[in-house]
Formats: sequence, structure tokens, C-alpha cells
Amino acid sequence: MSDLALDTASARFVTAAPARHVDYNEDIVRKFLIASMFWGVVAFVVGCYIAAELAWPQLNIAPWFNFGRLRPVHTSAAIFAFGGSALFGTSIYVVQRTCRAPLWGGKALANFIFWGYQFFIVMAALSYVLGFSKSREYAEPPWHLDLFLVVIWVAYLVAYVATLLKREEPHIYVANWFYLAFIVTVAMLWIVNNLTIPVSIYGSRSYSLFAGAQDAMVQWWYGHNAVGFFLTAGFLGMMYYFIPKAADRPVYSYRLSVVHFWALIFIYIWAGPHHLEYTSLPDWTQTLGMVFSIMLWMPSWGGMINGLMTLSGAWEKLRTDPGLRFSVTAVGFYGMSTFEGPLMSIRSVNALAHYTDWVIGHVHSGTLGWVAFITFGAFYYLVPVLWKRTGLYSTRLAAWHYWISTLGIVLYITSMWVAGIMEGLMWRAYDAMGFLQYSFIQTVVAVHPLYVVRLLGGIFFLIGMLIMCFNLIMTVKSPSTARGNVPGAALAAGA
Amino acid sequence: MKAGDLIIGILMACLGLIGLYAAAGALDLEMSIFGWSLAGFAVVFVFGLIKHHYDDVDAAHAAARHAAAGGAGHE
Repeated sequence: MSDLALDTASARFVTAAPARHVDYNEDIVRKFLIASMFWGVVAFVVGCYIAAELAWPQLNIAPWFNFGRLRPVHTSAAIFAFGGSALFGTSIYVVQRTCRAPLWGGKALANFIFWGYQFFIVMAALSYVLGFSKSREYAEPPWHLDLFLVVIWVAYLVAYVATLLKREEPHIYVANWFYLAFIVTVAMLWIVNNLTIPVSIYGSRSYSLFAGAQDAMVQWWYGHNAVGFFLTAGFLGMMYYFIPKAADRPVYSYRLSVVHFWALIFIYIWAGPHHLEYTSLPDWTQTLGMVFSIMLWMPSWGGMINGLMTLSGAWEKLRTDPGLRFSVTAVGFYGMSTFEGPLMSIRSVNALAHYTDWVIGHVHSGTLGWVAFITFGAFYYLVPVLWKRTGLYSTRLAAWHYWISTLGIVLYITSMWVAGIMEGLMWRAYDAMGFLQYSFIQTVVAVHPLYVVRLLGGIFFLIGMLIMCFNLIMTVKSPSTARGNVPGAALAAGA
Repeated sequence: MKAGDLIIGILMACLGLIGLYAAAGALDLEMSIFGWSLAGFAVVFVFGLIKHHYDDVDAAHAAARHAAAGGAGHE
């Protein structure tokens, strides 16, 4: 397998013969990819089930399978297990390749990071189902699991930074900047937001170190930046490596990538208060959050433009490379959801949107359209490379995956937009006497058909995921993709 | 044994002991499950480290025997 180097003058990846053999740790990348696919299926199955619970509440089987207990299982499985494993795997792959250095710490440290992270995920899911949630959104695990994750995360940070430090390449490629921002900032967010005082060191219950509005502010400083640094910065790192590789084109503007990196890092961290508009949070803080959210348009779209324009001169590859099609569509969804987010943070819009299903639609256009699609693009690229295959088992199946998933997202987000705006309008409607025109249950009845459409969208997305899993398993196992069995077959891109 | 394996092994042993400690005094089901699971995870992980160590030793011996027999020249 050839090595990857970056010509910093042209920002183009070049294939260079290695000065010496580098024994990359690909085993750990393969493990994380398999884990990510497994957790993706779990996350989407649970997501479909809780969507069905919202449409038909009798499906809430108390106490273990109540919506309140399964919802964090879905979000944690999607964000931390599916997305997190994908980020761990791709970041470890990218840092080794772009630094031309094996992962620091050897196999033992790599296995500790992998198995420790999987252990955390399983324990966290179990704690939610058993009813031991800390009740902080996206930070639900009990205090002892928070501490355990810190140990794993520090090990990951040390391995990553040490690999960067012993690199053979003089330049640190921009994808690593984004991955490093993700690792460092998530560590900071996780520690501060989970500062709690346990009732006993032998018990799972704990109380937050913060109180009242401050507690809410810390929670949403964490919550918004989990989106910003886990679901955005990390996956931008993925974009900056895999789109240029799959398209075989240089990054459109390396300077833009650096400028939008620093702008994104500086601005994102201030935008959290927009989650608490019209609450007891000080008014100026809400305004600050809103203003910084609007300012985020620029760096976010800088990334989107850079990702899309990287395809300049290679657009025809979208016809033949379904992986690249996923990646580019992901960038489109990234642009759309990073337009929608600042829009929803504007006070007058927020007055309509807050607490409605519009927020759920917005989140899923980001998570399904951006996070999942950019991950699928990376998987379709990586699996043939890591398992030394000539290419995908079936590009036709990958195309089916693409279209069925896209249809699923469209059903999901449009139904939630309509449901959300309908809820917002019904909640604020007054009659001629000044009374509320609709009771809450009337709004629930009104959105019921849209909840069923949302479930349908989720099922489509799940079917797409299962198609991908089958396709990638067959890519690894089928004799038709084995190297040497297909005369004249081109090796997978980058292999 | 490599230094990295040893450090991770000691770290896992400490985590396993913490798990036993937590399980022994657990006041609720969650802490009990976590403690026992952490201890079990540590034991399995350390066994894995030991297995990999001897796998590597065996592989090195096999490679040395192969080289001594002049196997490399016939490939």
C-alpha cells in the first residue's frame, strides 16, 4: 500500500514512496469501523422504536423500555457509539497516514482505547435502561462512568499527540487540526459539565456542582459544543481527508481550511446560550449566544464551500463512486443544517421553534445528513483499502443505500418541519376572548400522522444501513473482490 | 514484555481492583453491575495482553527457526 504525503504548496495529496517501511496499526482502525457499523444498526433500531413509541404510546413498556430510558440509549448509541467509533477509527487512520508514523503506544494502548471505549458504551446504555441516568442531555452516564471515560479519552489524546510529535512529515495536515480540536475540546467539555458531587463513592447518584441558571448554562455550553466539536469538528477532519482522497483532487483552498478552522473554533464555544432563549438566563447572555450563532454562518459555510469546491474538475466521479456521492451530499446537508441552526437561534424564530419538533428535524438533518453520510462515504472508501480488496462488492447496492437513505432523511426532516411549525403556531394561537385556542393534546393529535411519516423515514434509513453492512461484509468475504482474482482490476483508490 | 504492555497491564489491574472495591460496597444495582463488569473486563484484558505476549514470542521463535533453516532465501 502506498503512502500518502501532502504537497503543502498545492495542498494536493501526492503518492510518495516511503523512505522506510512504516508498520501502521490498521487492526485498531478495522475494529473501530466494525464497532461503528454495529452501533449504527443499534442506534437506528432503537431510534425507530422510540419513534414508534411517540406515535403509539402503548409501546412504552415500563420501566426498562419507556421512552425516557430508551431515548438516551438512542442518542448515545448514535453520537458516542456510532459517530464516536467512526471518529476514533478514522482519526487514527488519518494521523498515521498523514504523519507517516505508526500509532504511538503500541498495540496494548490501542486495544485499551478500543475495548475501554466499547466498555464505556455498553455500561452507559445499561445504566440508562436501568434508570440511573444523570439527566443531563448527551451527558447522562453516572459519575463513575464519566471518570472512566476520562481515562480512556486521555489515553486517546496521548496516543494521538505523540503520533503527531514523532511524524515523518514536516507539515501537520489540516484534517489532524480538526481531529485534535475534537479530542481536546470534548475532554474539556466533558470534565467541566460532569463536575458532580457523588452522594457516596459506592452509589451512582450525584449532584451537579453548579446550580440553577448556571447549571443550565454549563449544560448547554457542553451540549452545543458537543455538536460543535464532536459532530462538526471531528467530522470535518474526516471530510478533509476522505473527499480529496476519493476525488483524487487537492483541497480547493488550504488557506480557507485554516482560516475557517480558527474561526470555527473561536466562535462555536460561545453559541451555547441559544439553547436557553426565553429562560431565566440573563438576557445579555442569550443575545451573546444568538449573535455568535449567526456569526457561525461564515466559518461553517467556509468548510462547506471548501468541501464542495474540492470536487472541481472531478464532478463526474459522483456518477461512478457512491462513496464520494455520500460524502458530497453530506457536505450539502452540513451547509443546510448550519444555515438552519443560526436561523433558529434568532429570537423571533426561536419563539416559534423552541420546544417543537422543528428542533428534532434540524438535529436529524445534521446527524443523518451530515454525520452519518460523511461516515458512510469514509466507510465505502476505507473498507476495501483496510481489508486489501479490489473494490466494493456491489456499487449498485451502495447506490441503493444512497437513495433509500436520502429518501429516509427527506421524509424525516420534512415531517418534523411541518410538525414543528404546526405545533409552534397552535401553541401561540389565541381566540377572540384571549384564551389559548388549542389544548396541548390537540397539538399532539394534529402531529400524529407526521410522527408516523417520521418513523417511516427512520425505517428507510435503517434499511439503508443494513444494505451497507451487507455490502461491506461481502466486500471483505467475497472472492470476487479478492486481489488477484479480477484480472486487470484497478486497486481501490488509494490502496 | 514491552514497557507499553506492562504499563497498560498495571493500569488495568488497578482498574480491576477499583471495580472490585466498587462492587464490594455498592449501594445500588448500577454500581454493583459496573464494579463486577470492570473487574471482569480487567481480567479478560490482562489475559489478552499475556496471550499476545506469548503469541509474539512464538512468532519470533518461528521466524528465527525459519531464518536459520535458510527459508528466507527460498521465498
